[in-house]
Amino acid sequence: MLLRQFSISTLIFLLIFFIQESLINQLRLPGGGFSLPLLIALTWAALSTPTVGALTGFISGFFMDLSQSSSGAMGHWTLIMILACYAVAYLGFGNDNARGNPVTNIFLVSSASVVTLVLFVITGLLLGVPVGGFTRVLLTLLGNGIWALLVTPLILPIITRLHSVLFGNQAHI
Amino acid sequence: MRYGGEGRARLLLIILIVTSLFLITLDLRGVKILDGVRSGTQNVLAPFQKAGTTVVSPFRNFFGDVTHLGRTRNQIEKLKAENAKLRSKLLQRKNADGELLQLKSVLDLSGRANYKVIAARVISQGSSTSFSQTVTIDIGTSSGVRPNMTVLSGEGLVGVVKESYAHSALIMLATDPDFKVGVRIAGSQQIGILSGGGSKRASLQLLDNQSIVKVGDILLARGSTHNRPFVPGVPVGVISAVDSSAGSIAQSATVMLYPNFSALGIVSVVLSAGKNNPGDALVPAASAPSPVPTVTVYATPSPTASTK
Repeated sequence: MLLRQFSISTLIFLLIFFIQESLINQLRLPGGGFSLPLLIALTWAALSTPTVGALTGFISGFFMDLSQSSSGAMGHWTLIMILACYAVAYLGFGNDNARGNPVTNIFLVSSASVVTLVLFVITGLLLGVPVGGFTRVLLTLLGNGIWALLVTPLILPIITRLHSVLFGNQAHI
Repeated sequence: MRYGGEGRARLLLIILIVTSLFLITLDLRGVKILDGVRSGTQNVLAPFQKAGTTVVSPFRNFFGDVTHLGRTRNQIEKLKAENAKLRSKLLQRKNADGELLQLKSVLDLSGRANYKVIAARVISQGSSTSFSQTVTIDIGTSSGVRPNMTVLSGEGLVGVVKESYAHSALIMLATDPDFKVGVRIAGSQQIGILSGGGSKRASLQLLDNQSIVKVGDILLARGSTHNRPFVPGVPVGVISAVDSSAGSIAQSATVMLYPNFSALGIVSVVLSAGKNNPGDALVPAASAPSPVPTVTVYATPSPTASTK
């Protein structure tokens, strides 16, 4: 990723972080709501190479760590997002049939968001982060999965356009 | 990447992972610079969150209202017909009235116990992905708010100040799984430890197995040394179920917390408590049963209705 692309991506994720903290967190959505930085980073990674995916995970994860409501240690979300975005980018890389199919991308991002949260819970338990009871964690994961399925189709065209403007015609949906 | 740069990509991935692990290690070791980054971000975010509160306030409870649509449909239809002309005016005043009511009740509560409090508006709710139950308020160290101060609503204990920034503060709610407070039962003065359970229901562990608790017993905060983090006498909740399993070392119970955590608008932070312990003075008055009107209907035959 060139420095220019890295800088613009950082600004985009900074804006997304502000939207999440200032607006979405205040809507009190049922089922626990959703994390816009998480969904956009995974969508962004799904359209990118593994290298760009890992860097995207680093930027978005760092912003998620800066959230005052983040319960984990600083760097916790960064680590999880690097791994998740790298994995998502790696799964889609080189397979143009999968990458060009919106339905595949929506399911990839939605399932990846749930897996990412599961990974966060597991590593959180290892680091001593309080995550609540089993039922509550399960409901939060379910709620986030449903929200991801609803929100990803809405953000996918915008992110695809932004991504192709920034990185050239590497992905078209 | 697969065309020659695989080694470089792996190196970058390793560098990024090591960087994140380095950050985690620094944070777990309590390095101050990372706290500074977080509090600096919060200081920058606070004005945007305040602006966001104004923008989303008309829609904030929309999704919650949708889930209760079945129960309130008839009432909504009736109100629509009656208040069509006043609806727009009511919408504008609804938020202000609700906040005023919350402010009045929280000031009444703190006034009775001689607490010195400062009122605050809830400007943000913690993201569910954090797995902790927190809210952010619009006052911070510039108003005297410090970590480990008690936070109240008109109904009772809301939580405790977890982090304090210049113009905002993060509140750990009593529903947080990590929340613990020493409590006593009003009247009998039995003591125990209340733990948050992720919802409005909390669990109580009594310290003495000989004591007897019953459903309806009211719990008050026992208070901490120098009143931090908890001032004494704050209503916490009411016992809704007692676990009476034989052979248990200590008795436990389920407690219904007093505040409505999903509708927190105005809260107050206790800056200092009075010299005297308020004792049971803050126990909420039992709601008086409302009289049920009785209507007797006498059926009289209509003079026009006759059988031929």
